[in-house]
Amino acid sequence: MKILVLNCGSSSIKYQFIDTEIAAPLAKGQVERIGMMSAVLTHQPAGKEKIRIVGEILDHKIAIEYVIAVLLSPNHGVIQDKNEIDAVGHRVVHGGETFSGSVLITENVMRALKENIELAPLHNPPNIKGIEAVTIQLPNTPQCGVFDTAFHAKMPPHAYLYGIPRELYKRYKIRRYGFHGTSHRFVSKRAAELMGKDITELKIITAHLGNGASIAAINGGISIDTSMGFTPLEGLLMGTRCGDMDPSVILYIMGKEGLSIGEANTLMNKHSGLIGVSGESSDMREIEEAKAANDKKASEAFNLFTYRIKKYIGAYSAALGGIDALVFTGGIGENSTLVRKDVCSNMDYLGLKLDETKNESPKGEADISTDDSKVRIFRIPTNEELVIALDTEEIVSKHLESLK
Amino acid sequence: MPEEKLKLEDLISEKAKEVEQGRIDYVAIIGAGVMGQGIAQTVSAAGLDVLIVEKNEETLEAAKAQLTESMKRDISRWSLTESEMKAVLSRITWTLDLNEMSDCDIIIEAVEENFQLKRMLFKKMDEVAKPETICVSNTSTLSLTKIAEITNRSDRIIGMHFLHPVPKIPLVELIRGLETSDKTVEITKLFAAKIGKTAVEVYEYPGFVTTRAIVPLLNEAMHILLEGVAKAKDIDTAMKLGYNFQTGPLEMADTMGLDEVLAWMEQLWSTLGEPRYRPCPILRKLVRERKLGKKTGEGFFKYDAEGKIIN
Repeated sequence: MKILVLNCGSSSIKYQFIDTEIAAPLAKGQVERIGMMSAVLTHQPAGKEKIRIVGEILDHKIAIEYVIAVLLSPNHGVIQDKNEIDAVGHRVVHGGETFSGSVLITENVMRALKENIELAPLHNPPNIKGIEAVTIQLPNTPQCGVFDTAFHAKMPPHAYLYGIPRELYKRYKIRRYGFHGTSHRFVSKRAAELMGKDITELKIITAHLGNGASIAAINGGISIDTSMGFTPLEGLLMGTRCGDMDPSVILYIMGKEGLSIGEANTLMNKHSGLIGVSGESSDMREIEEAKAANDKKASEAFNLFTYRIKKYIGAYSAALGGIDALVFTGGIGENSTLVRKDVCSNMDYLGLKLDETKNESPKGEADISTDDSKVRIFRIPTNEELVIALDTEEIVSKHLESLK
Repeated sequence: MPEEKLKLEDLISEKAKEVEQGRIDYVAIIGAGVMGQGIAQTVSAAGLDVLIVEKNEETLEAAKAQLTESMKRDISRWSLTESEMKAVLSRITWTLDLNEMSDCDIIIEAVEENFQLKRMLFKKMDEVAKPETICVSNTSTLSLTKIAEITNRSDRIIGMHFLHPVPKIPLVELIRGLETSDKTVEITKLFAAKIGKTAVEVYEYPGFVTTRAIVPLLNEAMHILLEGVAKAKDIDTAMKLGYNFQTGPLEMADTMGLDEVLAWMEQLWSTLGEPRYRPCPILRKLVRERKLGKKTGEGFFKYDAEGKIIN
């Protein structure tokens, strides 16, 4: 099946047009600065040069129209007819408590998505706009929603509840949801495949380390806990986010500095994490460079980052009652040998032994643990778009089957 | 990466691009004082393009520097990031030429409260702007209806009263003139929402809601001081803790500028005529002594260079 995968943000749309038979994109690209006179569409057909088109794109509807047009265009396109798009898969950030898996978009689903807007006021509205735009442009093409939160929807209450009055959970659905679900699901499944075992028999910890970072405890293929919570602020230290912190700290700072709620929010989400601690950069590559040059603050930021991951691995091993595999993914997880080395150092007691040579190996999927390591350690590049395409294919096939 | 020669339009032959009516993309602001800068920052932060018109090179350069400075302060208080500041500045164009406003969808006048000057500017706006462009005044004292009279678009004249500091205060008062059309109000409301402000619709009347309610309260706090009921610091503490004021009334008056507060009281007094709007004698006295509050370093309290009270 040929599936258009869309990730719609408030002023951008990222797309991949994936052929599921070869499990690879035929073309990919993005539209940026939607809503402005000088919007930019970058498009790259597989194996060809990237092109860039600048023009006025006022809203998501028009942006989608252009994406379809460029896929059809004689010079840079990859299809001849709109109907060659068999289905459209959307990344949707927040599925709330309603969605524990990917779904075919129907009117009922749209209604439920709109009810979840309050939980993700920044992310869900553009996702919804994207779906509505596709409905207008490709009225007969089936669409699916794949949720960032869905993989974690089976967490037990002791993992998702906060220790606050239950009334608040009932009133505002305040609970832990977790994010990066598509990635955690994909890499844990890949790990099981690489081990040649059934995922239902495995206890896997997956660390998705990018500019946003989260870690998940996966028991028999089900996420039983993850480090991000109500919002993507909880858990690991990230590029610009603080992660776990005593909540009183922020109240104290607000009082001392006279910060408003908005300012406090920006402080924790944009000025903290690696950039806040190092004062240097939110980019791990630059942190590592500064650390190599003996920059004390950068070293501390690095250590804070890896130490927090270590703590979670310990905690999740306990929660899982053991660990069979640890997976690194995401920009940092896939590319930083230093982070992986530091996280895995001195973990023999858990049965985790990193092979330093394998750890240095070039990109791609790899088992980077020593032969005698009881726990397999993997580096697995994540591929959320492919997961979205495959989910969409599965759901749409079933749907078409049922119509017969 | 090759820059594609063809335009987006060429991709779609029978492209039905219907521009929604009343869409605001490009905003002109006349006057780059503190209010003009604040409005520009707010509008640009919402992703719209901004044109700022100033009267001469000198004030324009000063305004540029002040805006950058004020955003740097926000960065140091963690409410803005470097890249956000760059994005905001990149969307602002500065000019001395009023004729450049001709492409703008909305023009906001934010110059000093001088009726003749405003009339002149509105006449000019009316001449250069597209017919559908909405002209906005940020006036808080002058009659919108009277300003509108000089133009040929009195239905597309409206007031937007922003509060200082504009980027941080989520409110704007929309002031209808006598002939302002419902459509203009509707479009302006959408614009306000787009730039993150809640709009409260008010009719043309001295002080609207915000000034009318707060300035007499500040004046009353001054009377409490005058009558020896409590010391200045204790009045502020009482109101802060008792009624959850972020700033006590006397410090608030010092922040606004005591000359401004006095001008307001006199305006309310003269237009509404009730004795309750009579400016408190201490206010007059301090203004006579040029103790105008934070901007001069002293008012009801003394302040350091950063505007913090010196105990």
